[in-house]
Amino acid sequence: MNFDPNLIRNFSIIAHIDHGKSTLADRMMELTDTVAKRDMEEQLLDSMDIERERGITIKASAVRMFYHHTDGKTYMFNLIDTPGHVDFNYEVSRALAACEGAVLVVDATQGIEAQTLANVYLAVDNGLEVLPVINKVDLPSAEPERVKKEIEDVIGIPAEDAPCISAKTGLNVGEVLARIVDTVPAPTGDPDAPLKALIFDCLYDNYKGALSYVRVFDGTVKPGTRIRMMASGSEFDVTEVGVFAPTWKPVDSLTAGEVGYIAASIKSVAETKVGDTITEAGRPAKEALPGYKQANSMVFCGVYPADGAHYDDLKEALDKLKLNDASLSYEHETSAALGYGFRCGFLGLLHMEIITERLEREFDLDLVTTAPSVVYHVYTLDGQKIVIDNPSNLPNAAEIDYMEEPIVKATIMTPSEYVGTIMELCQNNRGTFVDMQYIEADRVNLHYILPLNEIIYDFFDSLKSRSRGYASFDYELSGYARSELVRLDFLLNGEMCDALTTIVHKDRAYSKGRAVAEKLKDVIPRQQFEIPIQAAIGSKIIARETVKAVRKDVLAKCYGGDITRKKKLLEKQKEGKKRMRQVGSVAVPSDAFMSVLRING
Amino acid sequence: MIGVYVHIPYCIRKCRYCDFCSIPIDETAGRYRAALEKEIALSRAKYPDERVKTVFFGGGTPTILPAEDLCAILDAIRTAFPVEPDAEISIECNPKTIGFDGLKRLCDAGFNRLSIGLQATQNDLLSRIGRVHTYEEFIATYSAARDAGFTNINIDLMHGLPGQTQDDYLDAIRTVATLEPTHISAYSLILEEGTPLYDDVTAGKETLPDPDAVADMEDAGMDLLESLGYHRYEVSNFAKSGFECRHNLIYWHNEPYLGLGVAAHSSMEEDGFWARFSNESSISAYLKKLEKGKLPRAERIIVNTFEQMFESVMLGLRLVEGVDRAAFLDRFGCDVIETYREAYDKNDRFGFWDHSDPAYLRLNRLGMDHLDSVLRDFRERRLIDFLR
Repeated sequence: MNFDPNLIRNFSIIAHIDHGKSTLADRMMELTDTVAKRDMEEQLLDSMDIERERGITIKASAVRMFYHHTDGKTYMFNLIDTPGHVDFNYEVSRALAACEGAVLVVDATQGIEAQTLANVYLAVDNGLEVLPVINKVDLPSAEPERVKKEIEDVIGIPAEDAPCISAKTGLNVGEVLARIVDTVPAPTGDPDAPLKALIFDCLYDNYKGALSYVRVFDGTVKPGTRIRMMASGSEFDVTEVGVFAPTWKPVDSLTAGEVGYIAASIKSVAETKVGDTITEAGRPAKEALPGYKQANSMVFCGVYPADGAHYDDLKEALDKLKLNDASLSYEHETSAALGYGFRCGFLGLLHMEIITERLEREFDLDLVTTAPSVVYHVYTLDGQKIVIDNPSNLPNAAEIDYMEEPIVKATIMTPSEYVGTIMELCQNNRGTFVDMQYIEADRVNLHYILPLNEIIYDFFDSLKSRSRGYASFDYELSGYARSELVRLDFLLNGEMCDALTTIVHKDRAYSKGRAVAEKLKDVIPRQQFEIPIQAAIGSKIIARETVKAVRKDVLAKCYGGDITRKKKLLEKQKEGKKRMRQVGSVAVPSDAFMSVLRING
Repeated sequence: MIGVYVHIPYCIRKCRYCDFCSIPIDETAGRYRAALEKEIALSRAKYPDERVKTVFFGGGTPTILPAEDLCAILDAIRTAFPVEPDAEISIECNPKTIGFDGLKRLCDAGFNRLSIGLQATQNDLLSRIGRVHTYEEFIATYSAARDAGFTNINIDLMHGLPGQTQDDYLDAIRTVATLEPTHISAYSLILEEGTPLYDDVTAGKETLPDPDAVADMEDAGMDLLESLGYHRYEVSNFAKSGFECRHNLIYWHNEPYLGLGVAAHSSMEEDGFWARFSNESSISAYLKKLEKGKLPRAERIIVNTFEQMFESVMLGLRLVEGVDRAAFLDRFGCDVIETYREAYDKNDRFGFWDHSDPAYLRLNRLGMDHLDSVLRDFRERRLIDFLR
């Protein structure tokens, strides 16, 4: 007997980082006795260390709760958690598509942020009912009435009755549960129709294989069902279906309206793509659920083991991460400067940082990462189109007809006092102003078109520092635009260092070349000889700095009592050298490749 | 043939930059001579066949002990070991700690080389680094030493001191050279962790000249010393011809030496192994062991051939002469350049070698400036590769 669909509520929570999403979810689980309070690990939904440390959700996740309503009935709540960062926009949209409603959590001391707004629009686009909730009303600086008005003005949904809660203390969280029953529609769907289940997330388990986290829209799935992935066409036999209670709990079947997981001895998450539709092989649905997209890498960088001997360890680690992260792509590449490594593709900068951090932490690897790059379209004079994700592969300028670079539509929300400095920042980053709306008397929504390669280094950091942390930022890829781009190379002691090569706009090449050369001068330690650092476009040197030679690297005293100590000192100095990467004749600190490019004009 | 080093740990007061084993003179000084005499006798029993070619009394400030005690210790060494008739017998001294009578006594007892710690000729610089004497007090000691009969005298100088300019340093060299010592040691200040000077510098209370300025001082000082007839024979040591310190050459040639006294280190062949060992570094532990009739050993490290080879290079390259290839071949059965071919070639590309005499592995002046980086390259050679 499956649960009465009329008593099911599928919803997610939309909130800006730190506005209290995970805390609210925790309180809901406590109130519904889903987890005993004493068993509760702080913020259960964010299970990775990195997620907890950064206070963000990287992977979507779900939990089932039973709520005893005042009408005497028991409702099944499926809370589908969404990733909290622009890099995972597509995953967010698929998680929302699995729901009928969304709880919008807004911090009563902060108001709406650009990221929240983007996700609310996604929810509205997916036809979700939105239940606004004002959080942190227990704080002295809370302004619930102002925030309610802002929700009405900006999003255009009524907020007068929005529950005013404190997820931290538990104040009024019960009211949120009651309102979910009233606001979020029950799922519709035909349990007897051909199976249609939306994959909103996936996860690799060593015993069960790749698990699909699904929302069943039509039909029923149970162990033994032969299923087909509609995008890839692959077929599998279901070994187990289950729900999130909150850990995996096998059930007999999942039917229209329900949320759960499907295991089918699938070897890799590459077969369980988020957004894909699962159907029955023997009785397939006529068409898949809408919205499936192939995840595309937006940002690429070279990832190399700091010690070349660890190439195989790095490969193994990437293979393991890939099992769980279909959006990570990588292929072998060779750098003259760094040896054997991988060109890795990521959804965005945060995704890149998370993956490299996990590689270093979970697999105990020391890595050298090169400057991140976006994907350029190069049109050659002989009429070919080449896609370039590694700047050092760019053909000679003489062979290029023209180039295109990815551009994004950016939304920046900021208190109006920072508009001037933020517009200056966008202008400096080749931004094109689109429009500006006043949300309130002192809050502004700015729209810009920006080249992606201008925002992948430190745009976000600059935005935060220019606005004292108040501005928020969101972007979506809007296509490619023709641009005057040049390849900027760097030479260390006369030898080209391919790991430092970047592609920049020609108007920015000189300032960038100078800035990076100066930074390199600071991060490269003095060595036995003088090291010229040159920035070059083609054969033309546009900037030059010099790292002076070490003058004295010799211990003044060494007598009978110092010999053992002296040897130890040499060993210690050698250890220090290990953190350096030999590029031709020059030793470069491992983190230099990334750090020097964090320069904003 | 060995060198014997005798450590006298006492000082009036420790200088602000000093991390040597030194303690203020206290009641243990009275027991120290007896302990040393016992250690000499025990060592004799252990090494019955050794002959001694040099003796060096270092510190601390050896001359803080009564000259009578110092002479008695030297006598004990002579009684226990055959000391060559032409042996070099050095003693370190600091100004103000000994007068004409004491120096005369030392000279008469057979001490034939005196090393005086001066460091700088400017009194403000001396007090800033915590020296207990003035330049004038040094002059008094130096004259007394000459009058007492010392002809072979070293003077220690330093550069890179807080507040020191290049002119200060060059003036010090010129001034000292007019006294015509046979030997000048010119050290660059090493800022050692755990010293008061280190703490002050890290706390920002004291500043040292920047490394480039120190390097300029050093280079200018070297040129000046050479022009005054003091030729450089080791990284920091300069001498009139024939007056190189024979005892210190033992260290740099990686030859055996026996260290006596608290915290002293030795390098000797023992039970068929080449070993480095050290004595107890606390005065109480040192005295206690000897008073119980035991050698005051704290640690012994057996040095295998591979490590001995590296040490020979590490020490030998400190010498302007370099490593004697024939001596190396004779001792280890392999050629030093071939053994360290990779490191040799790399540093050859930097232009660090002096090729004037193929009998030696020798750094030129630029190479000497980079000695530690050269040694790090030599250290890359692994034992396992050597065995292959």
